[in-house]
Amino acid sequence: MAHNHSNEDGSIGTSLHGVTAREQVFSFSVQEDGPSSQAVRSDDPTAKFALPVDSEHRAKVFKPLSFAKPHMRAFHLGWISFFTCFISTFAAAPLVPVIRDNLNLTKTDIGNAGVASVSGAIFSRLAMGAVCDLLGARYGTAFSLMLTAPAVFSMSFVADAGSYLAVRFMIGFCLATFVSCQYWTSVMFTGKIIGLVNGCAGGWGDMGGGVTQLLMPMVFHVIKLTGATPFTAWRFAFFIPGILQIVMGILVLTLGQDLPDGNLSTLQKSGQVSKDKFSKVFWFAVKNYRTWVLFMLYGFSMGVELTINNVISGYFYDRFNLTLHTAGIIAASFGMANFFARPFGGYASDVAARLFGMRGRLWILWILQTVGALFCIWLGRASSLPIAILAMMLFSIGTQAACGALFGVAPFVSRRSLGLISGLTGAGGNFGSGVTQLLFFSSSRFSTAEGLSLMGVMAVVCSLPVAFIHFPQWGSMFLRPSQDGEISKEEHYYGAEWTEEEKSLGLHEGSIKFAENSRSERGRKAMLADIPTPETGSPAHV
Amino acid sequence: MAIHKILFASLLIFSLIQSIHGAEKKERLFKDLEKGSLEVTTKPSREGPDVVLDAGKDKISITWKLSSTGSTKEAEFKTIKVKLCYAPPSQVDRPWRKTHDELFKDKTCPHKIVAKPYDKTTQSIDWTLERDIPTGTYFVRAYAVDASGHEVAYGQSTDDAKKLNLFNVQAISGRHASLDIASICFSVFSVVALVVFFVNEKRKAKIEQSK
Repeated sequence: MAHNHSNEDGSIGTSLHGVTAREQVFSFSVQEDGPSSQAVRSDDPTAKFALPVDSEHRAKVFKPLSFAKPHMRAFHLGWISFFTCFISTFAAAPLVPVIRDNLNLTKTDIGNAGVASVSGAIFSRLAMGAVCDLLGARYGTAFSLMLTAPAVFSMSFVADAGSYLAVRFMIGFCLATFVSCQYWTSVMFTGKIIGLVNGCAGGWGDMGGGVTQLLMPMVFHVIKLTGATPFTAWRFAFFIPGILQIVMGILVLTLGQDLPDGNLSTLQKSGQVSKDKFSKVFWFAVKNYRTWVLFMLYGFSMGVELTINNVISGYFYDRFNLTLHTAGIIAASFGMANFFARPFGGYASDVAARLFGMRGRLWILWILQTVGALFCIWLGRASSLPIAILAMMLFSIGTQAACGALFGVAPFVSRRSLGLISGLTGAGGNFGSGVTQLLFFSSSRFSTAEGLSLMGVMAVVCSLPVAFIHFPQWGSMFLRPSQDGEISKEEHYYGAEWTEEEKSLGLHEGSIKFAENSRSERGRKAMLADIPTPETGSPAHV
Repeated sequence: MAIHKILFASLLIFSLIQSIHGAEKKERLFKDLEKGSLEVTTKPSREGPDVVLDAGKDKISITWKLSSTGSTKEAEFKTIKVKLCYAPPSQVDRPWRKTHDELFKDKTCPHKIVAKPYDKTTQSIDWTLERDIPTGTYFVRAYAVDASGHEVAYGQSTDDAKKLNLFNVQAISGRHASLDIASICFSVFSVVALVVFFVNEKRKAKIEQSK
């Protein structure tokens, strides 16, 4: 069989999990064992797991309150690690009023450091895919946590704007845990529920950006009570996120497991999926224009969210003359809304898909992102505190739900390059944040309030490209699906990512299976009319 | 849904109260204060053309009294609030230190030095620069405050253009040897722990595979 490739170590040419088209990462049903599924080496496949699993031993059920090994444990370790990294990356933001006095920073310095804090992750997120393939999700996460912990501690040494910027840049690398966390859940949970699982993991992790706005001023205050001066206390406060990172890293390595059946290094590789060529995967991701539209869209949903994490606390502190503590509480509410807002976005996307198919998903994405951006404009213009808080909350829900809704669309853009597209989209978020901070919050040209409104305007404009995402088989916001018999099939779209030679080797079978399962993206009307004919299934003999 | 209505209603009421309340404060302007009613002089403990005072160590001797030209509002003076203020060079590209005409918005003088009840004599204080004073160029201003807490007059140690008689302060670094050492220890532990785990697991895997 062409499917079983055993390699001792995944070569660097392997892609993110889910890219090889062998796994059912985002498809719907993995109930039946088709001819393309793998024979996993184990004696009694399902009995030893606490949760019901599919043929690849991925959990079919999501139980957030359970810590059962290995699935739910992986979920919790994954999202908490991601959460911890968010805390560290944005830990400086609520303390900026103290740091700027200690280091004699100008607005430009602060803005540039903010840009630096999100820029590092652009590269680390791209690299993390390869790391996870090579070393497994545990080490991907642990590397991210434990190798950036020294950067967090080195805030003790910072003495001027330059070193402050350098340290924030290095801390920012840890945001790569987004990729390792999503990778880990994709390995552990079956396609049918992966949308909700990833939405929860992503949303709850993002909450860290909110919690840090509360945590750091509180820690700072407590340290001051012990007698330290403010300029020493803030440096010491950074020990908390640093220690959290080390603790989480150790927990991940000791309690976690790479794959449902064990750790990558000890597992026999004969059950492993076939490896795809990185160059091919990369090419198909880059060639697909939809990848870049998503890159830009995420830049103005997640990007805006990351920027706000950096500027909102200082904004409330300065504009409304609040204490550090109060400003932190308000700023925290922005990030905390992620708890339900992002999963809600994913859920809304799923509901829209059920009714209107992919076109519904695209509309929902556009609506949520634009509404969020409009409230951002309002936030910049609000001159009284209650109105500003109201505007900020509505803005946060809209933007964060848009993040969730975007990852309802992303899995369908490509089957072969799914992982890389997730990584690229994630990097787009950071890129968007860097751009908005550079343009609007790094100079004295605009006041912070003006910057917020202008950022909202830019987000509205840059959300329009959703209209250009067109799937021949499902249509787009304004265009109907193709009427051509051949092109209107999902198989055609996903099959186009494989060459004839590869198809003759049967490497594309996973894509075909995914294509069948993705027919639900046609929406309710089309689903009732269409009777799918699986190309690889065995015909029923009478 | 009831809770949403309650929340929204309370938000509206609150903002209403805010706007009414705020209306009074918003009208008090700096330019309405009586200028130069108080004569303020400062004498840093170290003087010289390039001297930079150290926060936490150096002192400034500040004296204030009613100016020789007298004041029409002297009867209202209840307390004198002496504050440390940023000179223009320290306000560049730092909107959180901006000078606004509205008194409640003005961020020029955030650091309180002392508040003493007004009497007609010359008053002075020997003030040590506190350890949370940032690096910058400063002058001293004394506000005369009336019984209801509103500023009515002021005097400052520099001229109107805020160019003369300024002094420079260097903040403490905030760094500490013990902090540095703790930081290095934790960092080393983090990296070493990771390496140890990694090497250990690879070794165990090799042993298993060779079986």
